[in-house]
Amino acid sequence: MQKNTRADADKKVYLSIVVPLYNEEESIRQVTDKIVQACSRFEFVWEIVFVDDGSTDMTWQLIEQMKSSINNLHAIKFRKNYGQTSAMVAGFEYARGDIIVTMDGDLQNDPADIPKLLEKVNEGYDIVSGWRKNRKDSRSRVLPSKIANRIISLTTGVRLHDYGCSLKAYRAECIKPLKAYGEMHRFLPALASMTGARITEIPVRHHPRKFGVSKYGFDRILKVFSDIFAMNLIVRFSSYPLKGFVLSAVPFMIFMVFFGLLGGLAIGLSWTSGKAFFFMMAAALCGVAVVQLVILGVLGELVINTSDLTHARLPEITIKEIAIDDQYN
Amino acid sequence: MISTIDTISVILLLEECYEDQSAYISTIDRVFSDIGAPYEILVIANGTGNFFRSRISQIQGISHRLRAFEFGNRTTQAVCLKAVLKEVKGETLVILGAYQQLTDDSIRTVVDAMEDSCDVVSPWRRKRVDPPFNRFQSRVFNWLMRWFVGAKLHDFSCTVKVVRRTVLEETELYGNMFRFLPVLAADRGFRVKEVPVRHLQERGKTGLYRPSDYITRLIDIFTLFFNTRFTRKPLRFFSAIGIVFMFFGSLSMLLLFIERFFFNTPIGNRPFLFLSLLLTILGVLVSSAGLLGEIIAFTNGRKKREYTIEKTI
Repeated sequence: MQKNTRADADKKVYLSIVVPLYNEEESIRQVTDKIVQACSRFEFVWEIVFVDDGSTDMTWQLIEQMKSSINNLHAIKFRKNYGQTSAMVAGFEYARGDIIVTMDGDLQNDPADIPKLLEKVNEGYDIVSGWRKNRKDSRSRVLPSKIANRIISLTTGVRLHDYGCSLKAYRAECIKPLKAYGEMHRFLPALASMTGARITEIPVRHHPRKFGVSKYGFDRILKVFSDIFAMNLIVRFSSYPLKGFVLSAVPFMIFMVFFGLLGGLAIGLSWTSGKAFFFMMAAALCGVAVVQLVILGVLGELVINTSDLTHARLPEITIKEIAIDDQYN
Repeated sequence: MISTIDTISVILLLEECYEDQSAYISTIDRVFSDIGAPYEILVIANGTGNFFRSRISQIQGISHRLRAFEFGNRTTQAVCLKAVLKEVKGETLVILGAYQQLTDDSIRTVVDAMEDSCDVVSPWRRKRVDPPFNRFQSRVFNWLMRWFVGAKLHDFSCTVKVVRRTVLEETELYGNMFRFLPVLAADRGFRVKEVPVRHLQERGKTGLYRPSDYITRLIDIFTLFFNTRFTRKPLRFFSAIGIVFMFFGSLSMLLLFIERFFFNTPIGNRPFLFLSLLLTILGVLVSSAGLLGEIIAFTNGRKKREYTIEKTI
């Protein structure tokens, strides 16, 4: 089994730049040049971690070529295409920096913004998200993402303008334990809020896509909404599943009482016989839904209770010591 | 071609008792000694230990490379393989069934097909020798697999498989998933190759199987469909089904609503009304099962890596 660890683990790295790549043969050289250019001024040790997400073009060969001339370039090659979330998680696991910056491999982000992100991290934030304030995309693309950002911000309580921007900086200890899966990469800040991370955002530059086109369809919107729902469930209720399920049963309880009362009235006041029958059945069906939801909630409690993750709120890094100056002692 | 340094481990899964099994084992031994690479033969008597031991005198002396194991009670092939894995010395594993299904040449072909650029070799019996009805059933099954699971293979029922050791180590095999090893391996990013072979004989049941067998097969296909796509995002699967139910439920409710308030038709005793109520509730229940799925994926799925790494530099 290929281990995700490295031989040169002794060198102290401060910054790791993780770039997931999928068929980026046209842009990878330029991306690398830009990163090297932006980071050459840094006095600390930094590294690039490319994650080749099962590219079918020349991406990996180009990485291997560049590896010979750039020492602090590292790369992971997946056996097949697993998606951006997996690529990022693999990159996080492999990166050794105290701070991890993620960015796109298609030149939409500008590595020249990295120093700004670092500045913000040094102010004491754990996660600094980029915000493409002036997006160079078509309206049809910007609008759905704006709506999605609003919904994610409102529902998860982590208010960001641009969840979709890949350019983000993380303190390694806040992001490494998350082990995201599925398609969570869009929601990493929301997920990280479970660890008590302090999150902020700064405007970054955005360049239009030079190569390739991105897909945005109706089914994708549905998928994103399904993901938003799942993310909320995880962020809010994974510690108390029963609470979540009981809350979603509340509307059915109300309907049950409502139909039950109407049914009682229908019998008491001798309305037409069809009405009484209908209201009673409707009340019974709502009752079935309530029972089923509560049972699922109890099963959820069982799952949480028996899993190794004893406390789903990721206690690993919630606690942080606050530095107190001598004068207050 | 397999490099001559690597050991080939031949695993014989003996699930049924056949009188000519000792002859079969010596044939296999001859085939592999002809290949020239170092090899070992591991015989697993899966619930057929008594039969195997009673014929031990015939088997003794076939080869000093032969070792035998037994499972007291019959278990699944997946368990047998996972259990024998710690005894296996080689990097290339040739898994064979209880009788000789392919010709000697074809076994050789399959083993030779294992190259550096591939991890699993699956044989494809182009001309099958079993009765037409069985071939037809098999064809339907293979077609369903291709259509539903998106597998790009033609023959899932052949008992012969050649895999790299890492494939068995890194693939989740349980229940009767052994049959689908090439599909599962491809899902984990391993490279699968199919080679045409010649079918020698087919034993076991012919004609119609028991109804439960057909149901099991269908459930297997569905399991694969779910496992290869949705184990890390269960809500997408459940909400897709739930939304369909809820959509039709609320659509018919809307129609009834219009009838009641715009055309003043009484709707209280219409079956349609109950159908729409039932559909809506069903949609809610299916989607909420997905929520439970998400909780399970979050609490237990984080331990397992979703991706497989080919190499790092």
